[in-house]
Amino acid sequence: MIRRSALLVLLLLLSPSRAAGNFMFPDPPPPEEYGNLLIGRTAAANKVKSVSFSHWVHRQKYTCRVCHFELQFNFQANTTEITEAANRAGMFCGACHNGKEVFGHEKPEDCQRCHNDDLRRGVEGFAKLWRLPEAKYGNRIDWGAALEDLKIKPAHQLTIEPAGQIGFSETILLDAEWAMVSGAIFPHGKHTKWLDCNDCHPYIFNIKKKFTEGLRMANIIEGQFCGICHGKVAFPLTDCARCHTDLKTVPVFKEPVSR
Amino acid sequence: MRKILGVVLAILLVPTLVGAQAGLKKRRPLPPEYGRVTIGTAYAEQKFPDVQFDHWVHRAKFTCRVCHVDIGFAMKANATGIKTEDIINGYYCGTCHNGKMGIEDRKVFAACAKTYTDEDKQQRCSRCHTGKETGKRKYDFFAFAADMPKERFGNGIGWEQAEEAGKLKPLDYIEGVSFKRKALEIPKDIDIEAKVPGMNEIIFSHKKHSVWNGCESCHPEIFAIKSGTTKYTMMEIFEGKFCGQCHLSVAFPMIDCQRCHTKPVQ
Repeated sequence: MIRRSALLVLLLLLSPSRAAGNFMFPDPPPPEEYGNLLIGRTAAANKVKSVSFSHWVHRQKYTCRVCHFELQFNFQANTTEITEAANRAGMFCGACHNGKEVFGHEKPEDCQRCHNDDLRRGVEGFAKLWRLPEAKYGNRIDWGAALEDLKIKPAHQLTIEPAGQIGFSETILLDAEWAMVSGAIFPHGKHTKWLDCNDCHPYIFNIKKKFTEGLRMANIIEGQFCGICHGKVAFPLTDCARCHTDLKTVPVFKEPVSR
Repeated sequence: MRKILGVVLAILLVPTLVGAQAGLKKRRPLPPEYGRVTIGTAYAEQKFPDVQFDHWVHRAKFTCRVCHVDIGFAMKANATGIKTEDIINGYYCGTCHNGKMGIEDRKVFAACAKTYTDEDKQQRCSRCHTGKETGKRKYDFFAFAADMPKERFGNGIGWEQAEEAGKLKPLDYIEGVSFKRKALEIPKDIDIEAKVPGMNEIIFSHKKHSVWNGCESCHPEIFAIKSGTTKYTMMEIFEGKFCGQCHLSVAFPMIDCQRCHTKPVQ
């Protein structure tokens, strides 16, 4: 096993710049900032501060599908047509942030709770999560285990219930591109606890593995396919061994190797 | 030699080209937009903008069958080949939009005409020929939807429940176009096994479909009458064939997986 990892490192060192470029990961943010983002599609034009949004705050209470499926938030910041009017009409943030469930748009002193341009807003609350199972990367929290162990009980449904549930839990194996790397596992069961079928199918992943074009590690690192979530919010791609289970997590190069 | 080396190097260094559509998420239409169809005008020289057709306003009054069988609209936009003369002569849109047909307490406005004034162009032509803009619709979607049962996705309206509860009474007969026939007995629901092991089975309800579609919307062209004869895959459905003819753009969308895949497998 050690020899295989060493060979892989050697291969990475010797591979042309393109391959090295494929494995350039961004500098990881501190755990309390992982999954935090600024939303400010029209902020500058409206002369307001961008909204700081923290995934780790929200995912304790709601699963991904509630916002990214029922409330129609896209998977890329600033591509969803969120407006104050829409929020006030109960769409997007306004589905919960309506002044009843949680603070809404009525009190002027509440504006800066979101509109603050501050990625580190509320990080002091992160310390309270020390009880949750640990992981190596991202928030350094194993959210999947936290959910399974009932350490967190996020709501999976907000509006109208589906007709039934699909208990599809097949684990599929995706072949790796390189001979040195083991295939990646994809457990449906772990994903459906957070997501709806349609969060991924059929537009991100075709329902047939062989018809999903361009599913390559390079594209994933660029933020497509698995990389839409893994690398920004779900555990980051630096945690190689969580999918490529035979691998030891390899060191990550921040600088391309130039010789 | 050097040239070849250069080409090889260039190939190695060219960054991976990525398809714009691959691996990313599509925008979901808003409830008023769902079922909106853009129909291009047949004659470019007419300089009329495209027609924006909203399914919701029509299905609130009529069954699918009336337009797609009796009147003869194809199931795909621009596949019908509607011409202005056809409409003037009382075919397609002109079947109802002739200024004569009455629905409830009012007359259906006349669509295309041989001659028209500038005022017509403003008032009448622009009701359908709105181009990219949807224009000012006479009927407000939200006012209509407020009173309807709610459903996930699509128009956000539970069309099926609305009809069952009598909130909608879609007409299945248009004088002069439709013919009264004795109703056929509605076949039983069918159970369709999913091809992927572990995936819920599909229950197809003839009863729910025949309210809107009769028999002729689907049989025999889309589906052979004998169950199991027409072979299709979920892939083809996502491409807009078979169930996807309606359940991709007008009837409840296929993102509502659980609505068809209802029967858990043991």
